[in-house]
Amino acid sequence: MKDKDEFLKQMENLKVPDVNPAEHQKTVKMAIMNAERSAVLGVWLIVIPCYFLLCVFMYYYFHVHINWFTAMFTLLASMDKTPGAAFWGPLILVVLPIICIIINALAIVHVQVNKLDVQQPKARERIITIKIKIWNILLILLSLAVVLVFINYVMVLNITVKN
Amino acid sequence: MKLNWFTRKGIIYWPVSVIGWVLLIVAVAFAVYRFIAIDMLSHSVSDTLINFVFNLLLIGLVYTIIAWFTEAKPKTGTAES
Repeated sequence: MKDKDEFLKQMENLKVPDVNPAEHQKTVKMAIMNAERSAVLGVWLIVIPCYFLLCVFMYYYFHVHINWFTAMFTLLASMDKTPGAAFWGPLILVVLPIICIIINALAIVHVQVNKLDVQQPKARERIITIKIKIWNILLILLSLAVVLVFINYVMVLNITVKN
Repeated sequence: MKLNWFTRKGIIYWPVSVIGWVLLIVAVAFAVYRFIAIDMLSHSVSDTLINFVFNLLLIGLVYTIIAWFTEAKPKTGTAES
């Protein structure tokens, strides 16, 4: 009976370990979107602008003058001339790659905000984690390149027209 | 409400419900319609194929976007770490 009381006293006076989740390095970092699904959609979003760019490079830089590439330019030029279809060109060539960048970035980026000190609520720590998912990163870089090429083209075209 | 119309196999979405199959048939039918329409206006086989490729890519993109939003969840869930 005495042993039991002593045992109970010992259990009551036990120090409970204080685990601070913010200090724990291994946490499950869930991204907003699934990386594989984002990569699959990203491939389909980027295929048409890349096809167009391939036609441009083959025609203008490698001087391969075949009907295949000329037809692509004719098609986009006809879209600009058709009333109500002029928005398709910028949509396909700029908006789709930007959407690809956004969905793939959401799939590999994780943001965590921690409070550093309970007594100082304004002191916060923001941890940004980027997962190394090769296909998602490649799609982001490719989409960024496509967007920059078209923005560069539009800027040069405007400067040329003004001059 | 989760719409489980398609399942993903690689980069292609395959229908697993009646509505999914209907969408696939509609996409294929529209592609055939566009092929015939382009063929009637073009002067040669290569001309037809050249103009059809772009339309086919657009149809594939729209089909994939619909399938992406209505994809069935996998039976065994895997948590990303």
